[in-house]
Amino acid sequence: MAPPQALVQERLCGTCGNAITTQAWSADGEFLAMATAGGELLLLDFRAGCEELLRGERDSSLDVLGFSPDGRFLMAAGQSGELLLWEMGGTGVRPMAFDPVPLQAGWLDAAAWRPHGALLALGAGRRVRLWDGEARALREESQELERTVLSVAWSRDGQRLAAACHGEVLLWRPDDPGDLPQRCATGSAGVALGWSDQGTLLASGQLDGSLMLWPDGAAGRGWQFSGFPGKVRSLAWCDQPGRLAPLLAVASTDIAVLWSQQDRGAKGWKPEPLVLHEGRVNAVAFAPGSSLLASASSDGTVALWDGRGRLQQLLEGDGQGITCLSWRPDGRHLVAGGDQGQWWLWPVSLPPSARSRPQPSRPQPSRPPRSGGFAP
Amino acid sequence: MRSAPSTAPDRDRLPVTVLTGYLGSGKTTLLNRILTHEHGLKVAVIVNEFGEVGIDNQLVIDADEEIFEMNNGCICCTVRGDLIRIIGNLMKRRDRFDHLVIETTGLADPAPVIQTFFVDEDLRDQLRLDAVVTLVDLRHVEQHWESEEVQEQLAFADVLLLNKTDLVEAEALEAIRQRTRAINPLARVIATCRADAAMDQILGVGAFELERALEIDPEFLASDHDHEHDDAVSSVAFIEERPMSYRKLERWIDGLVSERGPDLFRMKGILQIDGESHRYVFQSVHMLIDSARDRPWRADETPRTDFVIIGRDLDEPALRAGFEACVA
Repeated sequence: MAPPQALVQERLCGTCGNAITTQAWSADGEFLAMATAGGELLLLDFRAGCEELLRGERDSSLDVLGFSPDGRFLMAAGQSGELLLWEMGGTGVRPMAFDPVPLQAGWLDAAAWRPHGALLALGAGRRVRLWDGEARALREESQELERTVLSVAWSRDGQRLAAACHGEVLLWRPDDPGDLPQRCATGSAGVALGWSDQGTLLASGQLDGSLMLWPDGAAGRGWQFSGFPGKVRSLAWCDQPGRLAPLLAVASTDIAVLWSQQDRGAKGWKPEPLVLHEGRVNAVAFAPGSSLLASASSDGTVALWDGRGRLQQLLEGDGQGITCLSWRPDGRHLVAGGDQGQWWLWPVSLPPSARSRPQPSRPQPSRPPRSGGFAP
Repeated sequence: MRSAPSTAPDRDRLPVTVLTGYLGSGKTTLLNRILTHEHGLKVAVIVNEFGEVGIDNQLVIDADEEIFEMNNGCICCTVRGDLIRIIGNLMKRRDRFDHLVIETTGLADPAPVIQTFFVDEDLRDQLRLDAVVTLVDLRHVEQHWESEEVQEQLAFADVLLLNKTDLVEAEALEAIRQRTRAINPLARVIATCRADAAMDQILGVGAFELERALEIDPEFLASDHDHEHDDAVSSVAFIEERPMSYRKLERWIDGLVSERGPDLFRMKGILQIDGESHRYVFQSVHMLIDSARDRPWRADETPRTDFVIIGRDLDEPALRAGFEACVA
């Protein structure tokens, strides 16, 4: 077999002062934010070709961040226990910081914006709080769980919210205060939650080395797949429909596993282990609009796989472990962060095997980010 | 259940000290000393009762004790979920500190804390348990002696600080020392006033390193315990000059922990195995067992087996019979 054609030919990179903990793109792909374990928050503005340090180094880590899908807000949170928010002013304009919102619930590391608009769900101790971009305030009401919230995820239509803690996943409709939450027992702690793009399947990666899957909008009985070599720390759904269900990728110890549904029975899900990395796989992510999968590892590499689990290319991170990665919404640019503060941005051309499906209808800018100011 | 050994070399793993002690025993005093002492170590501290530590320090982190039962509620598989999450986040800032201290609440059972560092894959690879340091309030311990928490905290200790010597007479101190010894003959006992132990006796102890010699109080081994105290938690120690059978020992210990695991707090042993030039070392916490082939017996040593069991409601004659049946 001929070696696969190289998908990545060049890269941009830069450095922060501390390990990069998380990265996020704005919905239009024009802004990229990254946070570090030293509390820095760096914002790259591709249209203006400039970068701005929104928050300098300090003695408290940032661990979660994200742009609201309507592009108006950027949020970050972490060790200080405060919700940090900025109002985005458009390209070339420095975002305006809100007063930090104290949550008094210890370290914050679980948050997710609703897929449309500007409603943020935030795990704060045993509660899930909602910050409402319309009111620019925390909503009074909150959902309480039995234990500390470890992960939150919105269904694609934004109607349902799922939150995982030790022992259960709770599902409810935040817009319908009369709706009784649905409880799905798990037997251990859910550390990574994700809804499939069509919103019919909910997956939870568990601390006890299992993966739980609930079909039919979690109305059906869940399946549990055990036998992973360690905790299932990261998972990602492919946004392309499969024959029965989209592809699901999960990470456990030093392997990524690609799951596909072959039939509707309890044994219908088939795992395809992607064995290559020599250190912990910290993150997996599908490129939007395709079945190209990226896996990031502490061994200092990012691997690109096609939808059948065939290695396409191995990217190296200059000797530092890769902690996180994020695809630009156009599916053609991948950013990754290192445990010593370096970041890399790779323009990626799709392999023929991943290009089989049409692009989603969301409008995406086709212009790649410019390299102004970020070249090594 | 055998804990998988960590793949990372010891020196790359961050040492962790677990600080336990009943309410009012002086944990906060000791923490403040650790944080202000000029020992050259940058110490991060996880506390369960925020606000008590009087030092403004970004490396003092609050965590709400949260027990995760990993396996149908079995006591031996319980871990501290809050520590997994908080330390997981904290370890991304690994370069900021050299040592981690975890303060437990006065009523906490230390076992889940200890087990977390053996059970969780990330913590196991990135950190190593240095020692469990238990503070004993000399003035008030007699009132709480029957409490399960106090006995567990004594049983799991590697270092016992008998604190507040200024508040008791020498005889009272000695009586308490004897009584703690009967529960835990493995711990190093230090009498302190205002928790003023030397830092090197608290940090960098290496008590969980297998190859460390078993430091059993020789007096304890020599004496014939006449169980003057009726504590539910106690200890037994066996010495055997004849070589032991590895296979028999393994079978006996496996049977013991599966039957009595929840009651067996800690076991430690240095073993003389039949036909082996090397000593074997062994330790356990509840059902977590760790053992290894250690160095060769030195010429100046008399090979023998030392074995200590600390637990609840121990049946000494039955344990002794089981142990002696493992002679090769």
